Amino acid sequence: MDWIDRYAYSNRIRTLDPAGKAGLALAVILLCLALNRPAVGLLAAGWMAGLLIGWAGVPPRIVLRVLAGEGAFLALAVGGVAISVHLASALPADATWAWRLGPLWFATSPAMLELAATLAARALGCAAAMSFLALTTPLVDLMDLARRLHMPPLLIDLATLIYRFVFELLGTLERMTIAQGNRLGYVNLRRGMASAALLASRLWIEAYRRSQRLQVALEGRGYAGELRVLPNEYRHPRSVIWLGMAVAATLLAAGGVLR
Amino acid sequence: MCLLELEALVYRYPGRAELALAGASLTIPPAARIAVIGSNGSGKSTLLLHANGTLRPASGQVRFAGKPITYDRRGLLALRRQVGIVFQNPDEQLFSASVAQDISFGPLNLGLDARAARRRVEEAAELCGIAHLLDRPTHALSGGEKARVALAGVLAMDPQVLIADEVTGGLDPWMREQVFAIFDRLVRQGKTVVLSTHDLAAARRWADRVAFMQAGRVLLVAPPAQLFADRAALAATGLDQVMV
Repeated sequence: MDWIDRYAYSNRIRTLDPAGKAGLALAVILLCLALNRPAVGLLAAGWMAGLLIGWAGVPPRIVLRVLAGEGAFLALAVGGVAISVHLASALPADATWAWRLGPLWFATSPAMLELAATLAARALGCAAAMSFLALTTPLVDLMDLARRLHMPPLLIDLATLIYRFVFELLGTLERMTIAQGNRLGYVNLRRGMASAALLASRLWIEAYRRSQRLQVALEGRGYAGELRVLPNEYRHPRSVIWLGMAVAATLLAAGGVLR
Repeated sequence: MCLLELEALVYRYPGRAELALAGASLTIPPAARIAVIGSNGSGKSTLLLHANGTLRPASGQVRFAGKPITYDRRGLLALRRQVGIVFQNPDEQLFSASVAQDISFGPLNLGLDARAARRRVEEAAELCGIAHLLDRPTHALSGGEKARVALAGVLAMDPQVLIADEVTGGLDPWMREQVFAIFDRLVRQGKTVVLSTHDLAAARRWADRVAFMQAGRVLLVAPPAQLFADRAALAATGLDQVMV
């Protein structure tokens, strides 16, 4: 999470209008879902990886790591679709290939494999599009976008505070855990459970007191129920639109819509 | 002439037996450097939280430019336009993950339009030496950088009085000098800085008046040369044991 956040701030297209980047990601996701062919999903993932590396300047190592992580997760998920498990007495007739392991049959067929591949490719395309957005657009820019789209201010304020303080709370958690560890708080499972419980209650109280002090500080700066801030300034190059059209056209072609 | 007057303030935190303030008074003139010193629990923070109306005294009065302050929404907003307060821990003051957006919060609350607010953000950032950090995420800053961002967030509202509650506490000596340099720039602009601190050496060197608090009262207010030379007073307050 920490390093995704770092690239979101430091990539080459950080200052581009988040509307363009979010629009591109959304279009890719919609096309992946609508066209529903393995080629489309794989092409979308390829495009996103290419744009992340070539356009945003995110190191290939990082892009591969993100896609590999998502791919591994998807492979586990679609494993259950590709292979079915049966008791030895009830092997289904449509199983083209089957392996016996003890009392169980593991069976699969071309249709099941195709379904699994389609699912995996489609999900990978969508996940890559989300990764593209996450690695190129800091959350503050997305919140700017949400504000422009007239999301309720309360939701945006909540998101602002959660994003700001999740790092703080993690830091506090880490320091408290170290302090407890120094006094042998995690010497065995029993003490560890007790320490973790103490930590949780203490962290809750600490978070509450922090919120009180934040309230005092904000009121001192004229807080009147809404966290109003200036929008960031962005670049609006035409290239985003051309690029979006190119991506959409190739995905449509791969999906068999354009011939 | 006095800009801000805290007169005979009495305050007790809810659920506590003892008084946090027991008749504390402090007058704050324009263009002054005031240091408030005193041990932990002597009432420094409580006193300063009365200066911008965060706390309301059980008795006593706070006056700004001769007029008693009012505690309705408009009265408080008018007061906070003039009296800014910044605290020690910047992580309890910065709410946005964007430095520029955090600083823009106060100016927008003053009702400034986007252009004027942006100018205030740039001026405050320049004053605090953080113009190069405006585009960085808050959570990637160092402690000293965050402290100056918190300061800029208050100074962007252009207050007449800056209350700094132990802001120099967690800073390294170099960063502390930078913060004192910002304070000096403000005083040259005719603003007043009130700093509560445990750093007696800094209070002695920087302030033109030192207020000493004990048990919820301001016992002494004097120029540092006079206060730190008064052996009888130092002995009576226990300050002689910690003098450097």
